[in-house]
Amino acid sequence: MTTLSTTGGPGLGKRTYAFLRSIPTWVLWMLVLLWTIPSLGLLVNSFRTRNAQRASGWWAVVVENPSETLTLDNYVDILAAGAQGGLWRALLNSLAIALPATVIPIAFAAFAAYAFAWIDFKGREWLFIATVSLLAIPAQMSLIPLLQLYSGGGHLTLPILEKTVTLFPDLDLAGRHVSVWLTHTGFALPFAIFLLHNYISGLPKDIFESAVIDGADHFKIFWRLVIPLSVPVLAAFAIFQFLWTYNDYLIAVTMLGGAGQNFPATARIAALAGEFGQAEHLLTAGAFLSTLLPIIVFFALQRFFVTGILAGSVKG
Amino acid sequence: MVGVVSVAVNLLMALGMAGGAGLWIDRTGRPSRTRRVIAVVVGVALGALTWWGITSVDKLETTATGVVVSILASGLIFIAANKLFDLAPDRWAVFTTLVGAAGSFAVFAMLWGNRGIDDPALRTVVATAIGGVAGYLLGTVERSGQRLAIGIGAGGVLGALAASGMRNVGLKFTVEQREFVVWPILPYIDYGVLAGAILVGAVLGLLLWQARGRRNPLARSLLLGGTIGFFFGGWLLPSLGSATKTDAFVAAVGVGVGIGAYLGLKPIPDHSARGRIEVSARAYIFLVPALGFIASTLIIPTLRTLFLSFHDARGQEYVGFVNYGDVFGSPNIFNVDGWAGIFGSKLFWVGAVLLLIGVGVSVLMGRQSGYRISFSPGSGGLAALGALLALFAVFAALRGTVFNNLWWVVTVTVISTTAGLAIAVLADRSKGESVAKSLIFMPMAISFVGAGVIWRFMYLARDVSKPQTGVINTFWVGLGNLSLSRGPGFWIAALLSLALAALLVRLAIRAWRVGERGVGAGAAVCALPLVWFAYALWRGVGGFEVRDNGDVVASTIQFAQQAPFNNVWLMLVLIWIQTGFTMVIFSAAIKAVPSDLIEAARVDGASEAQAFWRVIIPQIAPTIGVVITTLIVLVMKVFDIVKVMTNGNFGTQVIANEMWQRAFTELNFGLGSALAVVLFIAVLPILYVNIRRMQKAAS
Repeated sequence: MTTLSTTGGPGLGKRTYAFLRSIPTWVLWMLVLLWTIPSLGLLVNSFRTRNAQRASGWWAVVVENPSETLTLDNYVDILAAGAQGGLWRALLNSLAIALPATVIPIAFAAFAAYAFAWIDFKGREWLFIATVSLLAIPAQMSLIPLLQLYSGGGHLTLPILEKTVTLFPDLDLAGRHVSVWLTHTGFALPFAIFLLHNYISGLPKDIFESAVIDGADHFKIFWRLVIPLSVPVLAAFAIFQFLWTYNDYLIAVTMLGGAGQNFPATARIAALAGEFGQAEHLLTAGAFLSTLLPIIVFFALQRFFVTGILAGSVKG
Repeated sequence: MVGVVSVAVNLLMALGMAGGAGLWIDRTGRPSRTRRVIAVVVGVALGALTWWGITSVDKLETTATGVVVSILASGLIFIAANKLFDLAPDRWAVFTTLVGAAGSFAVFAMLWGNRGIDDPALRTVVATAIGGVAGYLLGTVERSGQRLAIGIGAGGVLGALAASGMRNVGLKFTVEQREFVVWPILPYIDYGVLAGAILVGAVLGLLLWQARGRRNPLARSLLLGGTIGFFFGGWLLPSLGSATKTDAFVAAVGVGVGIGAYLGLKPIPDHSARGRIEVSARAYIFLVPALGFIASTLIIPTLRTLFLSFHDARGQEYVGFVNYGDVFGSPNIFNVDGWAGIFGSKLFWVGAVLLLIGVGVSVLMGRQSGYRISFSPGSGGLAALGALLALFAVFAALRGTVFNNLWWVVTVTVISTTAGLAIAVLADRSKGESVAKSLIFMPMAISFVGAGVIWRFMYLARDVSKPQTGVINTFWVGLGNLSLSRGPGFWIAALLSLALAALLVRLAIRAWRVGERGVGAGAAVCALPLVWFAYALWRGVGGFEVRDNGDVVASTIQFAQQAPFNNVWLMLVLIWIQTGFTMVIFSAAIKAVPSDLIEAARVDGASEAQAFWRVIIPQIAPTIGVVITTLIVLVMKVFDIVKVMTNGNFGTQVIANEMWQRAFTELNFGLGSALAVVLFIAVLPILYVNIRRMQKAAS
């Protein structure tokens, strides 16, 4: 679909029309180029020495003597141990945060989505809408109380009795990965339930009816039928959530606070970016490494990711 | 605290065993002794392992182990609960036995965990056994008199068992300098209050019975209400820890007998009633883990943030609206002093004129086609551009965090949506569509932090005496040099752009003559910037400045530092990321427009442009709505990019970063919470729109 005429009307000549018709494609590829330049520049620069990065822009790589300016040192340096452990440690931390924060919500949300879709109980509709409407609540609304909960436990002082009840023990979670998983899990659930519910409620009714006639109960139906049939949407959510949690900075830096050794890659890169000057040439390699895994996941599983994006385009 | 953990552990042990037994019973129709033994052994072993994991390792490891174990154990509890309710329809007696045992166990384990009773292990085991036996009997005995006797007897015995061991001393213990006091538990009953509570409970039971259409026997409703009243009167209203054992006996046995009698009065449900019990229990078992998580990480914290926003920095003293006053009273956050500057800004007048022209042309075109107003891509685009420029001028004059946020929302939402739609249209059916879309979509996979770093290198400005290494400043300074040099490069660039403009004008004239007005207008519009570029080049454009002494030196743009438009450069990063998102969604939506609709429009003589504006846009309007609401919420919360690129300095502060700094670097929880609430209120309208949309989709 282009906004230019493609019907080849009279008068303008075939060549002009061919030229006009190719304009959208040219514009498109110009935009693609513009969109790619920032990432490309980072990638090229990450292989150039500190001196080369300071002396000229990344595009100079085409005229430079490769043996003088190209190097892997930036990668070696940034991965190696520093004060807080090298970027290796941070990348492992990212995985240690993102994997559980992806798996746990799936487990919880799948059950809830099934219950909302196929178990008939009182108040189902409004409970579902109430749950899903929490999607847009900003994470900021929860950060302070959650940090207090993780670092001091949850206590309630009864108004009349003046007695303090411990609702959640002080497990000293702040600064640990656990606190980040728990937070991500809570924030992901409304979206996960919404996404999985959309899919699971669309499964054909007949299969459930015949399963019930065969004597299967809800638990059995869930395990043997719903889970195997929902693999595409589970994958879509998993990829979406993995990228989301791997790339998250706000929750990690809030919950981990001063525990720099537990920082994921995003928080480490942000800290590095805050120290101006000396390490700037390493920042390129660090930024590239920290986006490498998401980009691989993204290109390998783009189909699922797009499904997740499309279905979940209401997530806040 | 230890108490709570040990309660959890003990619950896990018991439920693990119950789950093991349930698993085994469910799997086979015919029980075999070996399986039963294996199930019990596995259950006990899991429980013991849990116990060991929590207690034996030192604190640091305990946390990690505890979490892993609690995740496994929650899974186990979950399966056990499911298996338990599987038994309800067909194996009612087994079901009631397990429920009776687990229920009594839970109550005693709670007392145990809070250090409320002596000989806790023995009492818990005995109570579990009694509960199990009572459950079995209530699941099998059918005569009502006998059932009532069993219920009262078992409830009374359990109550007595608890009361006889209750402690009257408060235990103090310290964990990490924090002192915990376990309550002394014996209640000092005021019998008048107790009677009153029972009466209130019974009356409530009566009202409920009436409200539910008198379906259940009256006696049972009264008994249930009365028992709940007894519980309140016996345990919650009296002051705890200052009484004799007699009072404890009265309070415990009374509640026990009440519950027992209530259960005894219920007949054994028939098969279909058991099925209903199973289904409704199942719904809640499936929902409780997720909803519990949502409640504890979203709902309760949200309420607490509201609460904190009315308190001082440490959350101790109530201060009313002081924090909100601080938010809107601070010139850094909310500042309208510069409003007069709006009308002094060239940008504003350019924008206003463009907007007027755009609207004017649209109205004229609407007259022709019979609509009140008709936006074509040209006039609508002109109007939108004008409005955007005028808003830029407004936001450049009104300073402060709140206006920065609004600026972000307007700019990123409008440009990302438009650009995404434009790219989706361009890419549709063109060569290499999927590759092009992938490349534009790719920034979505990059973290905001990573994107901030990437753009930092794009925006890099180095000392003017050295060669520039940032892409944009290289171009800018290069342009300045070209423009000043008046050398061959200058002439080539100027003549090339003029020649291209002439070509376009010629095309426009030809196209206009043959009636292809759209092409003509488009070509003419494209020629304008080329002419302007040649003119600007001649006047002097790009990165240089003329000093007072007449020296001409190169000059870079400090993208991050030069207020107020450094905000726009930060927004560009988010636009770079989010355009891929809007493009993918619009692309899918455009492909989903039925092609016969477009064909029909063409047959009726619509041009491509008309087909797009009158068929495709209305068809994808709901998608546009979704994209815009999503973007507004996302942009409203923008944090990472600002934090990494400027940390809110140079007049680029946004609410989310302000909130983070106040709350987590200054530890002013009151002000931080108030800022969070401001953010929350800002997205509430979107929340409402989303709910309405979902309600529509549901019905």
